[in-house]
Order: sequence, then C-alpha cells, then structure tokens
Amino acid sequence: MRTLILFLLRFKTLFLFLGLELISFWLIVNNNQFQRNHFLSSSNVVVGSVYNLSDKIYKYFTLASVNASLAKENESLNTELVQLREQLAFYRQDASYTGRRYHSVQNNYSFVTAKVIHFSAGNQKNYFTINKGENDDVRVGMGVVNEKGVVGIVNSTSSHFASVVPIVNASSWTSATIKGKTHLGQLSWKGKDFRYATLQEVPLYIPVALGDSVVTSGYSSTFPEGFMVGKVISFSERNDNFYDIRVELAVDFDKLSYVDVIRCQYADERSALEKRKGRSDD
Amino acid sequence: MIDITLKRLLSFVGFLLLQILLLNNIKFLGFITPYLYVYFILLLPSSVSKEMTLVWGFLLGLVLDIFCDTLGCNAFATTFVAFLKPYFQNFFGPKDDFDDLTPSIDRFGFNMFVQYVAYLVLIHHLTFFLIEAFTLSVFWFALLKAVCCSVFTLLLILSFEYFKARRR
Repeated sequence: MRTLILFLLRFKTLFLFLGLELISFWLIVNNNQFQRNHFLSSSNVVVGSVYNLSDKIYKYFTLASVNASLAKENESLNTELVQLREQLAFYRQDASYTGRRYHSVQNNYSFVTAKVIHFSAGNQKNYFTINKGENDDVRVGMGVVNEKGVVGIVNSTSSHFASVVPIVNASSWTSATIKGKTHLGQLSWKGKDFRYATLQEVPLYIPVALGDSVVTSGYSSTFPEGFMVGKVISFSERNDNFYDIRVELAVDFDKLSYVDVIRCQYADERSALEKRKGRSDD
Repeated sequence: MIDITLKRLLSFVGFLLLQILLLNNIKFLGFITPYLYVYFILLLPSSVSKEMTLVWGFLLGLVLDIFCDTLGCNAFATTFVAFLKPYFQNFFGPKDDFDDLTPSIDRFGFNMFVQYVAYLVLIHHLTFFLIEAFTLSVFWFALLKAVCCSVFTLLLILSFEYFKARRR
C-alpha cells in the first residue's frame, strides 16, 4: 500500500495528466454519443447570457451602419413625403378653389388676386403693400388671404395700391375661433415671431386640444367663415377663466407673394345695418 | 499570492472571452481560426507546478468546450499541451535561472521563444483537429489546418509579445 502511494506520488503529474485526458476522452465519447449534453452546452443559462451579451455588444457596434441605412431610408421617405405633399396641396388647392367659388356665389364674395410688392417688416407694426387698389374695388376693411390662410386686413387704399395690416402686426387684432366651436377669440400678435400668434378670450369651458385648427368665424363681413388662421400648439389657463392659446400661423409671412383680397358685395349694406341695429339698442 | 492568483484568473477569463467572443468568429479562407487561448498555458511561469499547469490547462479547455459545444476536444488538447509545456520550457528556456521564469521573448530570446510557441501551438492544434474529427482518415487535412491556424496563432502571440515589450 505504502509503495503504491509512493509510486502514485512519484508519478502524480503523469497520473493527473492521464486522469484529465481520460475525463476529456470520456466527455468526447459521451458527447459524440448523445450529440448534445444539455448540461454542459450552449443551452446553459450562463453560456446563453454571455452570448446574449456579446450579441448586444455586437449590435452596439453595428449601430453606425444601421444609422446610416436608417438615414438613407429617412431621406427617401422624406422625398416621397414632400412629393406627396405637393400633390396633395395641388389637389387641395383645386378643392378650395371650388369651395371659394361656391362660397362667393352663396355669400356674394369675390376674390381679387394681388401681388405683394412691399413688405415693411419692422419690429412691431408691419405693413405690406399690394398692387391692387380702388380701381379693382379693393376697399378699406377687406380681408386678405392666401392659399394657406388669413393674411390680414386692408387698411388704406389708393387707386392702384392698397396697404394691408397683416395679423402679425402688434396693434392689430382679428377675431377667430377654434374650428367647430362658435365662441369668438381674439387673435393678436405679440411682436416677436412671424410664426406664432396668441388667441385670447376663449372661455375655459370650451375644450381645446393641441393641434386644433383656428379659423375665422364668419361673424363679420371681413372674412367668410372657416378660413384657416393656424393651429393650436400650446395653451395655458389663465386665472380669469380664459385660455391663453399659442397659435402657429398657417401663413408663412416670410414668403408672402400672392394674396387674395376678399370682396363682399354687400359689405357696406351689412355694416350699415349692423351699425343701425347697435344704435337702436343703445 | 492572492494577487497573483487573481491576476491569473482574470487573464484566464480574458483569454477565454477573447477566444469565444472574437477569435472563434474569424474564419479566414473558410477554416482558419486562431486559437490564441493556448497562450495562457504557454505564459504560465515556472513557479506553477506541473500539476497546477495541468489543472489550468484542463479547465481552460473545458470552459472553451462548453461554449463551443465541442465537449472534451479542447480539454484534451489543452491538457496535453499543459503536460508538455514544462518540458518544452526547460528545453527552450534559459538554463541559468529557474526561480520564477515567465516565458517571454526577452527571457527566451526570439529564436527560442518562437520555437517554444510554434511547437506547442502546432501540437495543440493538431491534437485538437484530430480529436475533433475523431478519426485519423483526415490526418493530412488536419495537419494542413493545424499548420495554417498555428501560423495565425503564432503571429497573434508574437504581436502580443511585442505589445508587452513596448509597454515595458
């Protein structure tokens, strides 16, 4: 026994070597017989999670190319979007044209197309000049729109020209309403950014949502009902039961070129009637 | 002592991860994969006993096997290399100091180190490929594969060595 132990100790390296090789060999044979040893294989939880991690890291490093392909896709989608938008705008324009004709027949409105020839974009009191005047029946107080929406109101005229106060003039205000509601709000411009205006005097009990359209009310002869002013982009509730609504204007005042002046055939008659009515109420 | 063991354990895990996550995915020309992980055994200093070398080698191969679904093949080859390694180290290594010799180009000299690495790597690869095939009928192809892969592994090891030498 003692000799055996001594013998084993003397050749312990060799025996360890042989033992380990035997285990390896047994594993190989075992593995080949059963194809897959479920305990010690890649289905193991630890092994699986390591591969999972490596997969994640690999994906992280491929982010750059993924980004590139996404950007490319984005680009092509954007191009398509712009094309479709243009088409849509084209057809919309047509539709609104028919709508306008209908409107004009029904309400005796007609349109005079004019070109903006000067835009004095000061800080607060902006005006612009159009190339149509009294000779084309453009009168003070007429509404001015373009294909996107409400632009402003004529405030003085000469025989060939007219001066228009746009809604982006700090001293002007226009009445407007949330589309689908009847309550009048007061649209004013705070004198900062051509893109945004403020709608006030809308009572709190009216439900307002982001993205709601702000349109003209049709309660005056200046603008027919339903002309686009802009979209609600944010609103806050004031203490006095009214909203403070920030409106993104539909018209791009930086790129104003052609506008339509709205002529209401019986505007004078209407305003005279309304004045008289008001007086008799007093 | 604990510090050294911990360091060795870390390099053990490091070599395995490098092998599993990176090198095993390399299939140059369809079949050439560097098996750098053997380098771990080759780097064990002479102060590590022959038995411990064997155990390290066996464990190294076994863990790799578990990850590669080649149960036993790597363990067999690495144990074999671990068994031979001390003898090769004595043969190719410097004869003068025996206290604690960590194989490196500096200590062995370029020529001896390359031979030391090349023989052991070739033996490992050949053993592995033959065990993997589990038949001698593919001997020539296994030999070709072993030589090709050995060249790759050797180049990798040498670049590691130069890296270490430059850092010093």
